[in-house]
Amino acid sequence: MELNFVGLVCPMPIIKLKKYLVENKDQIINVELLISDKSGLKDIPAFCEQSGLSCKLMANENVIRFKIQN
Amino acid sequence: MQEDTNQLSVIHSKGSLDWAYPTFILASTAAAMEKDVELFFTFYGLKAVLKDTTHLKVSPLGNPGMVVNSPVGPAWLKKIDWNVVLPGLVWTLPGMSKLATWGFKKTLAMQGQVSVEELRSLCLELGVKMTVCQMTMEMMGYKEADFIEGVQFAGAATYFANTPKNQSLYI
Repeated sequence: MELNFVGLVCPMPIIKLKKYLVENKDQIINVELLISDKSGLKDIPAFCEQSGLSCKLMANENVIRFKIQN
Repeated sequence: MQEDTNQLSVIHSKGSLDWAYPTFILASTAAAMEKDVELFFTFYGLKAVLKDTTHLKVSPLGNPGMVVNSPVGPAWLKKIDWNVVLPGLVWTLPGMSKLATWGFKKTLAMQGQVSVEELRSLCLELGVKMTVCQMTMEMMGYKEADFIEGVQFAGAATYFANTPKNQSLYI
């Protein structure tokens, strides 16, 4: 599953990721998350850690790409 | 009384558009991170939760921290901070608040930020509790119907009873 939040700024990437997680509660989470908001570089991993998800940085260019799994 | 320390509470007392953003951004993010969030709106802060947001403005007047860039035009023009270049007196001229508010909204939209109306309804969707100070509401001549759906009306004692001892921010 790919979530593309490119162009959105704080707090929207976190809010939209949270929405996806709530809608897919008790499911296997395997997400490619795309963002452009630089604050997400630290915020997305912090949010994932707090939510008990693993979060791996795959690319850090104009578009930042994370792999998020439970 | 709630003893849960996983809470965020903000007392919002400012009546301008720029100050509405930090409160709603922090509140929505905290709620997304499973915190119980309580917002208490008092005095001019009431404007942030009115249905009608046309009076929610921003002004560089007496606001030296504000960066006033043109959201339109060539790159060299956009770089100029008009709050530094122009004398403060300029912001007292008619229409300046309107112009600054237009520029502020345009800059935020170009950055990908959502409107304050959208942000506050997201907060409510995420379970953020909002309380309007009843005393202020009556003092300022507002009615309950003037406020967005989902806020409650109470006084300072209710706010303190619902919030923890150690997490109170004042914005």
